[in-house]
Amino acid sequence: MTTGFWHQVRAVVHRDLLRERRRGDVLWVTIPFGALALLLVPLAIGTDASLLREIGAGMYWVIVMLFGVLVAVGKASRETLPQQDASSLLGLDPAAGFVGRTVSSAILLLAFESIVGVVAVGLYNIEILAPIWLAVTILVVAVGLALLGTLTASIVNSTTAGTALVPLLVAPLSVPLLLGATQSYDGLRYGHAIVSWVSMMVAVVIVVAMIGVLTARPLQES
Amino acid sequence: MKVQTRIRWWPWAAVALSLVVAFTLSMISPRDDVQGELVRIMYIHVPAAWLAYVAFFMTFVGSLTYLLTKNLRWDRIAAASAEIGVFFTGLTLVLGMIWGKSTWGVWWTWDARLTLTAIMFFVYLGYLALRRTTDDPVARASRASVLGVLGAVQIPIVHFSVVWWRTLHQPPSIVRPDSPAIQEPLMLITLIVGVVAFTIIYISLMIKRIELTHLEDQLTEIEHSTDQPVAGEAVVVPELGARP
Amino acid sequence: MTEWGWVAFAYGVAYGSFFLYAGSIALRINRARQSIERSE
Repeated sequence: MTTGFWHQVRAVVHRDLLRERRRGDVLWVTIPFGALALLLVPLAIGTDASLLREIGAGMYWVIVMLFGVLVAVGKASRETLPQQDASSLLGLDPAAGFVGRTVSSAILLLAFESIVGVVAVGLYNIEILAPIWLAVTILVVAVGLALLGTLTASIVNSTTAGTALVPLLVAPLSVPLLLGATQSYDGLRYGHAIVSWVSMMVAVVIVVAMIGVLTARPLQES
Repeated sequence: MKVQTRIRWWPWAAVALSLVVAFTLSMISPRDDVQGELVRIMYIHVPAAWLAYVAFFMTFVGSLTYLLTKNLRWDRIAAASAEIGVFFTGLTLVLGMIWGKSTWGVWWTWDARLTLTAIMFFVYLGYLALRRTTDDPVARASRASVLGVLGAVQIPIVHFSVVWWRTLHQPPSIVRPDSPAIQEPLMLITLIVGVVAFTIIYISLMIKRIELTHLEDQLTEIEHSTDQPVAGEAVVVPELGARP
Repeated sequence: MTEWGWVAFAYGVAYGSFFLYAGSIALRINRARQSIERSE
């Protein structure tokens, strides 16, 4: 299997999405869990409509950051040791594997963000401003979180504590994404420029992507 | 396997001496006009914060050099420095909270530097947790060093985002820190001596902590090389017909 | 609490946790050293 880089990436994405279609971890577990969390918040803090509208967008992004990570830890985009061995014996470029797993995680995260987003808008009556910028934010957060999640998942891969450890590692590192997403929503609401927040999130994407691609081989060899 | 027989005592002596000097100066330096006696908390809070940053920077250097050279010595430096860094970050946070409560009446303010320190604490706590998940020194070193680099590279972005977020939302003026104006030369000297003393403490602790990592690696190697029952003593073969 | 009370509290926390940490390193070194010597 010594085909081109992007061909390999496509193969990995195809494999991961196929696995998700068979198992349905994201669709039937992670997304309902995220939606449930949005339902629980008003039960705990009160159901005042204006308060919920005020905190709705922030709550949505917190849920995306905390629960979205679970998508990258999910079985769909994580390789077991035998699978890793098979991939490397077949000559899969570790960097292509990383990019492929990131792309499939990002696609699943987009699905998570969209469905949970609809639930959030419904439950909290969130105002949708500047749909194009909102779409850009959602896309950048999906890619950034997918990169962080995939990289950390491959760092802790095959260790027993993996599933519990990845969210602990990703959450503090995703602070720029959380602030970028929430602040650009506030920016839209109060008429500030948000290009700088979006570029900051893009910077995260570029930096993490570079580290992920460069360290894919040493990580696999370990 | 030859056990390292030489026991180094001087790092402990250096630690003790630095602590005594720093403590004495902190107590005899004058009281501040604004903060009163509370200014003395600064002489341990600021050096602890400084050490936290130094320690995490060393973790970054150790991780990066390990990735480039594959020499386990650098991984040990990174690991030792991360543990000391987490300790001093935790100490910085606690001291900051005590200082905050005594000066402004609140345990926590959403000050950019404080928030960043808390985030750093969790990043490196995760680093230490990751190291605990595997015994194999080489696999552990590769994984941890990637995280060490990722964490350090992300920190400037986190710092930037948090500072920017804070400049948009200024905290209420009652909890704005009035930084003590350092009017007396003795106060400045005390602070500098504190920073130097804590740096000596960092170096001494690093030497002892690296020694410990080295010994632990030796121990793991011995455990894996000698013939031992596969399941150890945890599993006992049930004796058929044995009385309870 | 008085100002000196707060200062004492802060120094107590700092130096106390400091001795605990240094002590734990020394203890762990001793234990590892003994285990290695025993296994020889």
